[in-house]
Amino acid sequence: MKYLLNIIIIISSFSLISNSKSISQTYIDFTANDLEGNEIILSSLLKNGPVMIAFWRTWCPSCNEEQKAMNELYSKYKPSGFQYLGINVDNQKSVSKVRAYVSAHNFTFTVILDTDKKIFEMSGGTDDIMPYSLILSKTGDIIHTRIGFKSGDENEIENEIKKILNLN
Amino acid sequence: MLTLISLVNLNIYSQNENKLKAGVNNLLRYGNGKETSSGLSYNKEYFEDLTDVKISTKDLSAGFRFEMNKPSELGRDFKGISKRYVEFTNHDNFDIRAGSFWEIIGRGLTLNSFEQRQLAFDTGLDGIRIIFKSALNKNKSIRFKSEIIGGYLEYSDYLKPERIEKYDLKDANLELTFFSLLDFGFNYVYAKGKIPSGIYETDINAHLPEIYFSFNTSKFQLFSSYAHKRTEISANDLFPVSFTSMGDGLYSSVNYSIKNIGISLEYKNYRFDLTTPDNQSTERPTKALPFQNPPAAVKQQTTVLTSRVPHPTDFNDEVGFQLDVFYMPGEDLSISLNGSIASRHYSFYDADTSSIVRFSTNKRNLNFLPSLKNDFSPYSEISIESEYYYSDKLSGKLGFYYQHSITYNDFFKDSPDKKHYITMPIEARYNLNNKISLKLHVESQWAYNSLREAKYQNFSNYFTSFFITRSPDLAFSISGEYTTDKLELSGKNAWLEAEASWNINSSNIITIAFGSERGGLRCTSGICRYINPFNGFRLTIQNIF
Repeated sequence: MKYLLNIIIIISSFSLISNSKSISQTYIDFTANDLEGNEIILSSLLKNGPVMIAFWRTWCPSCNEEQKAMNELYSKYKPSGFQYLGINVDNQKSVSKVRAYVSAHNFTFTVILDTDKKIFEMSGGTDDIMPYSLILSKTGDIIHTRIGFKSGDENEIENEIKKILNLN
Repeated sequence: MLTLISLVNLNIYSQNENKLKAGVNNLLRYGNGKETSSGLSYNKEYFEDLTDVKISTKDLSAGFRFEMNKPSELGRDFKGISKRYVEFTNHDNFDIRAGSFWEIIGRGLTLNSFEQRQLAFDTGLDGIRIIFKSALNKNKSIRFKSEIIGGYLEYSDYLKPERIEKYDLKDANLELTFFSLLDFGFNYVYAKGKIPSGIYETDINAHLPEIYFSFNTSKFQLFSSYAHKRTEISANDLFPVSFTSMGDGLYSSVNYSIKNIGISLEYKNYRFDLTTPDNQSTERPTKALPFQNPPAAVKQQTTVLTSRVPHPTDFNDEVGFQLDVFYMPGEDLSISLNGSIASRHYSFYDADTSSIVRFSTNKRNLNFLPSLKNDFSPYSEISIESEYYYSDKLSGKLGFYYQHSITYNDFFKDSPDKKHYITMPIEARYNLNNKISLKLHVESQWAYNSLREAKYQNFSNYFTSFFITRSPDLAFSISGEYTTDKLELSGKNAWLEAEASWNINSSNIITIAFGSERGGLRCTSGICRYINPFNGFRLTIQNIF
């Protein structure tokens, strides 16, 4: 019971932060190579429209579910300017499987390798949180953050995409 | 703690006015119940809170981690700032970071420092890292990246947290890229270490040069890395005469992918500390060092029962292969095949005809290949998994795994520990509507252990879990496990646990679990530890801002 007070303080403090609508975080730019070796610069992508960034691992079942769902949403909203980056944070030791995995699953979105987890860390990700995704507005503001994925979450993500693309 | 949270709040709220960017994430874990160890049950309570705070401007960022692990679930108790850093980057070609960081070079044969909180494993460095990269010609077809690291590492043995290894580490790395096709890398690690072995502490100097290259096209990739390790051991009470030990490691991977098929083949040949069985110890100062962590090249297990019987890779003495094949014959069906084989390099014999045991190595020419003979302690595994989407509402998974291992006993040659496991997971998912989903996951495992008395050699394990989720905010699961193993360490044969999680919003999750967990060996990235059975209550709160 001696930990109850600590737990209550932490929950209240973070609830206070999370309920604050005045917060508008801005994303930090990065440059990375996709699987074909092309240079991907976030700020350049943002010039074309909003970008969703999703961190995933090949052996994480929820990540795979999310990637499959997002592959469909990406195809659907790409013509409206929606962009999607799948950032793989597999340990560098298992990265050799990523290309094969992406190819076999016919993912059409851009995949970036972040084996040293620099982009992941910069984005506030930790190993306890996977999958982890962010939706960035054209101005680079983080308008949606998501921990985890379960069936049906694609509907909520789709609503966020429609909102940011003004398709409602 | 309250002060810290208030400070965090101030930082968050100040970002708009000062154009600072701030990020905070918090993980709180609390548990209260009974843990079983060596057949004895005792009260277990832990409270862990970890807050990562990051503040940044365009080029400059700084952050810290506040940890309160008192008492900790695994590892050492700690309260205070455990990580802190300041970093400058021009987002183009220069980056400098002072403070705490983790780093991996190549595939980690000489340097792969990382944190695995679930196993209380952390080889993070405290020091300085400078990265500079640039092009060598106008069209940027030839590029280089150079990196220098100087840092201090205090490694708490994840199996014996009170045993601390200390390293003063320096690293220089150069990578050259030609036409985005060919990469060459050179790395050199020099580490001065103090390694405790019982009541003694041994000073070592380790030199680890490494060379690696990769060839990348859109369909074909090849990677290969070779590392050498030279360890100089200073004389002390444990080692009366100073000596030098040599070791090395090789890792290669080949990938080929076409439209709906992807193939990946990995080869490992780790000989960082080849020694006879009477010399082997996890505290040997000549062993592969904790900041070395090459690819395990065995399957990362994702089912509950197979992940309980993983293969712990021996980076000191192991050779083997892993083959992965992904195949999608149609949009609704995917098939994944995996096979791996590994063994130690040599077998041994007692070269002393007296009662004293003194091992010698049986030399063999094919030591670059694994052997399936008993005296090579082989491990082999084959698995096939298939996932099928019958409709938008109904989908399922089916798998078959066979894991086989022999742990050879060089002292008692007639009693090798042979184990095999056949595991079949089946999963069905049904979406009731676009919010509510049901999932039933069932695993059956048939096990054999040769070292046991005949009537206990065969046993089986069964795991079932049922999930119901309501997107986007609620998830509930109930899991049950049953074993016919009469020698189960916890003395139980059934476990039942319920878990509920509530997403306050998409970035704040509260999870509560209550019931009993079987525990067992858990491995991630080649790091394995035994997790004790637990019966009680767990609370986890994850927040990201």
